Amino acid sequence: MTVALPPSVDIRGVTRAYPGTLALDSVSLALRSGRITCLLGPSGCGKSSLLRVVAGLEPVDSGEIEGGGRRLSAPGFTVPPEGRNIGLVFQDLALFPHLTVAQNVAFGLDRLDRPARRARVSELLARFKLAHRADAWPHTLSGGEQQRVAIARALAREPAALLLDEPFSGLDGDLKAEVRQVVLSGLRAARAAILIVTHDPEEAMLVADDLALMSAGRLLQSGSPRDCYLNPSSLAAARLLGPANLVTARVEAGIAHSPFGAVTADMPDGPATMMIRPEGLRLAAQGAAVAVADVHFGGAFHEVTVEAEGVTAILRHTGPHVPATGPAHLVMDPDRVRLFPH
Amino acid sequence: MVWAALSGETADIAARDIARYAATSAVLALLVGTITAILGSIAAWLVVMHRFPGRDLFAWALALPLAAPAFALAYAYGDLFDVAGDLRMWMRPALGFDLPFEMRTLSGAAFVLSCAFYPYVYLAMRAAFLNQSVTALEAARTLGCTQRRAFVRAAMPLARPALAAGVALAVMETLADYGAVQFLAVQTLTTGVVRAWSVYASTASAAQLALPLLGAAVLLMWIERAARRGRAYESAGSKWRPLPVTPLPAAKAALACLFCFSLLFFGLLLPCGWLLWSSLAVSPDWIRLADAAGHSVSLALAGAVVTVALATALALGAARLPLAARLVSLGYATPGAVMAIGLLAPAAIIWRMTPGASGFAVGIGLLVYAYAARLMAAALEPVDAGLSKVTVRMAWASRTLGRGPAATAWKVQLPVARGTLLTAGLVVFIDVLKELPATLILRPFNFDTLAVIASNYALDERLPQAGWPSLLIVFLALPAVVWLSRKIAMSRPGTA
Repeated sequence: MTVALPPSVDIRGVTRAYPGTLALDSVSLALRSGRITCLLGPSGCGKSSLLRVVAGLEPVDSGEIEGGGRRLSAPGFTVPPEGRNIGLVFQDLALFPHLTVAQNVAFGLDRLDRPARRARVSELLARFKLAHRADAWPHTLSGGEQQRVAIARALAREPAALLLDEPFSGLDGDLKAEVRQVVLSGLRAARAAILIVTHDPEEAMLVADDLALMSAGRLLQSGSPRDCYLNPSSLAAARLLGPANLVTARVEAGIAHSPFGAVTADMPDGPATMMIRPEGLRLAAQGAAVAVADVHFGGAFHEVTVEAEGVTAILRHTGPHVPATGPAHLVMDPDRVRLFPH
Repeated sequence: MVWAALSGETADIAARDIARYAATSAVLALLVGTITAILGSIAAWLVVMHRFPGRDLFAWALALPLAAPAFALAYAYGDLFDVAGDLRMWMRPALGFDLPFEMRTLSGAAFVLSCAFYPYVYLAMRAAFLNQSVTALEAARTLGCTQRRAFVRAAMPLARPALAAGVALAVMETLADYGAVQFLAVQTLTTGVVRAWSVYASTASAAQLALPLLGAAVLLMWIERAARRGRAYESAGSKWRPLPVTPLPAAKAALACLFCFSLLFFGLLLPCGWLLWSSLAVSPDWIRLADAAGHSVSLALAGAVVTVALATALALGAARLPLAARLVSLGYATPGAVMAIGLLAPAAIIWRMTPGASGFAVGIGLLVYAYAARLMAAALEPVDAGLSKVTVRMAWASRTLGRGPAATAWKVQLPVARGTLLTAGLVVFIDVLKELPATLILRPFNFDTLAVIASNYALDERLPQAGWPSLLIVFLALPAVVWLSRKIAMSRPGTA
């Protein structure tokens, strides 16, 4: 058991409104040092606003933000960004074009003396595998290298928390995994509280220790990625984390019935919405009778559209043989099914 | 100034005269605007999109006439084609005909000012063509346009904001010009302003003449702003590829070369050559000249430093004071003479309030202030462009890295914009060197600049003597113009 440390940054009921929109609607979130929190939401949901508010680039309209044992933001009170000890890595990185890689990383270290600064810079460059590019200009670097410079620069001052805005979005598939590897090990070594904003659910679940789901300015759910995925608190939260089949079910005496199968239901009799993840449905020799309507090759899997009693659902079939269209049977994995009252 | 105009009880200039001056100014501005638009656009299109002998040289050399003050061109052409000048006296009996034009007319002035001011359009259009997206041109070609049709139907419409901005500059300079039209005996509003002040010593009537100019300034500024608003003309995010440069066949190449050379010849080589030729006949008053050169350069340097410093402060605070930036560009459109007249009234007050201060210091201070006010917009544009290279996020990044707003400006914004600050300084430097009317009105007693000396000699009909200070201005301004022009030539993004 780990001892629960007080959070590095505590966001409590923060609201931020722009003319015509409520960007943040009483958002509460705790960032703990040494842990990576991923904030997942569609674009325009207020993720970036939250980053800017936490970084002190914008005031809060209500609620407050505490960090390092002191108050950072409250209505009418904002510690300026330079006084908060919170790092921020922008989506476009915002490297200084007039400074070399080493100078960029050293930018925030003006309080150290020269030898200490040099030592810190070379330590960071080594950690992010950038030592050989120390004297290069930012525009000569690859996307992944620029990414690492921006993160090393932000970590140089040993911030209590580091915020990253869509850090992997500009990178191509192969590179993405590689950069993510280097970046994550560098981030973990920093022992700061990390907040990563992303709109990619797969990435969020792979990277996060704690996941926070956001939509339309509100925090929908927070918890471990596994918990959020398997026990979404709402349909909106469920949809954020990946594809889901939504089927109308009928609850009778503690059992929810659907054309694809039944699960136990802890709710009163009546109609309900059954959310089934694609991997929760599996073609089998026995089980619910369905018709395979359509099959698409998807690389590692086949995407199969099944139909029963006029209701369609999509599943991912893995295995050597290609499913044939026509009558089939499937079984449903109750772990991957959730019920929501109508 | 408006106050002075309306409170003037002694309206010694008839409304008829004002109307006549205004009509002359308008016709002159129209002629110069049209001619510079055509010459500048064609030159820019030739140089950017075609290959012909001398193209790389012309690319930057075509801007060189900016180094020559318009009055120098007027002296040269006025003298060269004088009805009683050597050239015509020789031509009439020897060739049996006379040149069918006369310099000391409205059309002569339009010719001279077009030679002097076409580089404004050329530079604006070249920048626009250099920065244009290849895709629009390629799309036009795939839709069946020839290279020339693509120019007319795609490139020109896309460059329209630049054309408007360049022509607006040329027209503003035309309206502001004093030395050239004065020498060519064309009565415009600006000569009227200066004359009302110097001959009739009437600030009120000078101000009355200046009012239509100020009105024109507001109009021009509005046009220029409206042109600038066409941000959608810029194709952001498109990939930068080298522009398709067409090699010209021999005959066309010769024509292109000849066209560019004529611009350079009539804009700089011929007038300066003629001034040099006729000046060699007299030995200049070296001491007076050196003195004036010292004054000119110090004023130009002071003007450049003050203006750029103010422009930078303004640009950094622009987000908070959008109105200030707009007012400032009004200063650029305001002719120097008008600016000076407008400053005379507050100057008198300052004088009275500070009896101990030396009149010299107040005069110099006012002069530098007038330059800064007039050229602020010219400096603000490059400074703004330079500072806009610092994205908001870069400034924020600096803030989250522990630097306050002032330290951010000093450590990030100014270093990134360094090059453009120098550009802005050079623009002001060149303009102050060439400035005449405001200097004439506001300078302290016996404080001569090169432009003032040249103007005084020219007034005395001692043209060979006027040549020396004029040439010295060209000599001093030329390196700055060369540097600026070469810098712009290398400015196509993505190829740096």
